[in-house]
Amino acid sequence: MSYYLRKFGFYLVALWAAVTLNFFIPRMMPGDPVDILMAKLQQRGSGVDPSARRAYELLLGTHTDEPLIKQYIAYLGNLVRGDFGVSVSDFPTPVSTVIATSLPWTVALVGIATVLAVLSGIVLGVFVGWRRGTWLDSLVPATTVLSAVPYFWLALVLVAGLGSGLGWFPLLGGYDVVLNPGWHADFLGSALYHGFLPALTIVISSIGGWLLGTRNMMVSATAEDFVLTARAKGLRERRIMIWYAARNAILPSIAGFAISLGFVVAGSIVTEQVFAYPGIGSKLLQAVQNNDYALMQAIFLVITVAVLAANLAVDLLYGIIDPRTRTGG
Amino acid sequence: MSRTLEDFAMLSREHRATTRAAAILATAALVAGGCKSSGAPAQGESPTLVAYTGQATDYQINFNPFAPTRIGGTGTIFQTLFFYNIVRNDKPVPRLGSQFSWNPAGTQLSITLRTGVTWSDGEKFTAADVVFTLGMIAKNKGMNNGGYAGHAAAVDDTHVTITFDKPSFVDGPSVLGKTYIVPQHKWKDIADPAVAVVKDPVGTGPYLLDEFKPQAFTLKANPAYWGGEPAVKKIRYLALSGNQAGATALKAGQIDWQTGPVPDLKNVEKSYSGYRAVVTPLNQIVLDTCSNAALGCQGPQTDPAVRQAIYRAVDRTQLNALAFENTGSGISPSFLLPGRDKALISAGLRNPTAPMQPDVAEAQRLLESAGYAKGSDGIYAKDGKPLALTVKTVAGWTDYITAANTIGQQLKQAGIKLTVQQLSWNEFVDAKDRGSFQLIIDSLYQGPAPDPYYVYNYFFSTAQTAKVGAKPGPNVSRFSDPQIDQALDTLKHTDPADIAARQAPLQTIQTRIEQAMPYIPVLTQGTISVYHDAKFTGWPTSDDLYAFPAIWQDPDNAEVIMRLKPSGK
Repeated sequence: MSYYLRKFGFYLVALWAAVTLNFFIPRMMPGDPVDILMAKLQQRGSGVDPSARRAYELLLGTHTDEPLIKQYIAYLGNLVRGDFGVSVSDFPTPVSTVIATSLPWTVALVGIATVLAVLSGIVLGVFVGWRRGTWLDSLVPATTVLSAVPYFWLALVLVAGLGSGLGWFPLLGGYDVVLNPGWHADFLGSALYHGFLPALTIVISSIGGWLLGTRNMMVSATAEDFVLTARAKGLRERRIMIWYAARNAILPSIAGFAISLGFVVAGSIVTEQVFAYPGIGSKLLQAVQNNDYALMQAIFLVITVAVLAANLAVDLLYGIIDPRTRTGG
Repeated sequence: MSRTLEDFAMLSREHRATTRAAAILATAALVAGGCKSSGAPAQGESPTLVAYTGQATDYQINFNPFAPTRIGGTGTIFQTLFFYNIVRNDKPVPRLGSQFSWNPAGTQLSITLRTGVTWSDGEKFTAADVVFTLGMIAKNKGMNNGGYAGHAAAVDDTHVTITFDKPSFVDGPSVLGKTYIVPQHKWKDIADPAVAVVKDPVGTGPYLLDEFKPQAFTLKANPAYWGGEPAVKKIRYLALSGNQAGATALKAGQIDWQTGPVPDLKNVEKSYSGYRAVVTPLNQIVLDTCSNAALGCQGPQTDPAVRQAIYRAVDRTQLNALAFENTGSGISPSFLLPGRDKALISAGLRNPTAPMQPDVAEAQRLLESAGYAKGSDGIYAKDGKPLALTVKTVAGWTDYITAANTIGQQLKQAGIKLTVQQLSWNEFVDAKDRGSFQLIIDSLYQGPAPDPYYVYNYFFSTAQTAKVGAKPGPNVSRFSDPQIDQALDTLKHTDPADIAARQAPLQTIQTRIEQAMPYIPVLTQGTISVYHDAKFTGWPTSDDLYAFPAIWQDPDNAEVIMRLKPSGK
């Protein structure tokens, strides 16, 4: 039992540290939200009256002389109550609303793409590792090259080829904006159609890592004595591959998968930029560019909590699927 | 495509989980095949105008015309009393007002309102709405982004007078042309209108809100509009991920109007079939200098001779070609717009417009008479300190970075060393506000009316500046000059219609600015808008700039949309 208590204690400390850094780091950024807002309005060239600064300071309530430590305590209190405050860049929308409208897009797109990448990577890895020395080995360098290519470049090439050139896929957006979002075939179809190319780029660029990792584990697992024993017993090849070799070889990949699920909510800022896809990544960019502390904090918090939760889940799960990790020393 | 699917199907027999993956992929592929035709308008339907304002993330609904984060509707749903065209010396165009006049002292503004106007919910528009709107702004300081300081009263249903404590001729355009009138019967119950989220706007304008989605919202024509139902029946505003995505959408013909740089501007009509571009000179590209040592500025640029030397040494023709695709145009050291303000440019200026060719000899003469001597490395120095300056710009602003680098090369010829420093947007804004810079490549903007008073008041008056370290108004150069302050005060007390009386103070300002040069004139920037000429007619062109043709400029964008007509092609 103390194994689990230790784990929980550690995660609580990690959460507190993350929440605290979350508060202080954004405030070290130069400038304040009103400066940025004024500069942005002026950049547009529309005549912004100088008195707008005072108006916006009053409106956004950013002109505060409260000491940082007091703000910090208030921030912790608000977090406990689940109050993330109001977004300055989408004023006066509450941060929770901003996140609620953008997070589902990201979770659906990046989530599905990650699951696809991991599953196909692991399955291919198991095959390639089992049949090592055959032509299948050439899959390893092929997919690794695709992972090594800078992601934005790969995405732009696919957009240029499949989107602009062949016209098979739409270039931009999450769905055809003529449609109304909802649980009906038109919208879901349009969303799948628009999401296909972004998801494809994520799968292509990340499959290589999973494939390589699983394949190498598979190679070392097939050299183990228990595989030899299984062979000696005369078991069928497929049974040995899946239940003896693969079952042990995919353990590290499962850990990696859980952690990458945690990062799903961080979205992919680059994917969302290239495809003008609605999601949390572009909101994070907006928050950083506008010194929108409340939105930044909330998004970072969501990411932190998701990653910590995923880690905790792996830790707990590992104790079960691999009993060796439970015993100390 | 089909071969990949078969591969997946084969694998799926081996592994249960992959079956699901393959199913998802298969669905996607089916959808991909079946959905391509959606989105094309049906035959005979009036085409929708699709606009991209530069919105870089999803919209959050808010049509409150006083919120800095409003997403639209200003000019299209809510209207002002008059429309001021800042790119041409036009008379104010009547909108909800029909005429206005000042008393000679400039303390009372009388406005006559249009009759027969109704709000989109059917209620009658009256003087009470105008008085209510102005009173609300005066009461809620967070809404008062135009510096309104008057007291409005209704004379009868169609007449309003606004009294001011001091002469306020120059505050007129912001009240008349930038204040959106809202209905009293809807807004009087809102407890805190400054932070109210307006989800179903009721206005007097030519358009109504049709539907809102975070990724796009649509306005539809108001059939009961007082000026007659507009010809463009629907406008859709898209949210994309920024200018890059805007360019992609434009290339694919998915948007009809966009303001911002496009690659290969000269061949717009060739590379975007059916589109045209209009380049409007308005903002003035300058090198902001931290000019005033008395307010804490440090560096060689605090010496006017250095600023003059830089001004002389810039090769504007080369710069325009290398950094701005020749979309820039001449700039006057008086900061009057050479086109719009031609009649106002003082004859006493040394250069009515800045020379396009460099005069290195003159630049060097200026430096030498200020006590600089050329060192062995070809760079001037004074008291052992080389004449080296840093210009700050924002990483990613490619045109300004190219411009700063080009200017650096040009100044080297004249013996001035210029280093370009790229900053993040936040750092840049902070440096500009605190005065921690020597030079910044930046631009000056116009006020709410076609009147140079605003540029002078924003960027050259002592009231709009602050010590280095404190935040100023727009006057980031920390420039302060009693003669200019006095001339601005005179202008404030003079009716803008009295051209003769404005002559003398305007000339004083121009002369002083040319001598002191706290902002070094570079070029007048061309704002580029690309529009779908084959789909709609009636766009503003360089020959007929009836409004500033930028999609993000309100209410100019509404003026343009009201004049558009589907071309029927």
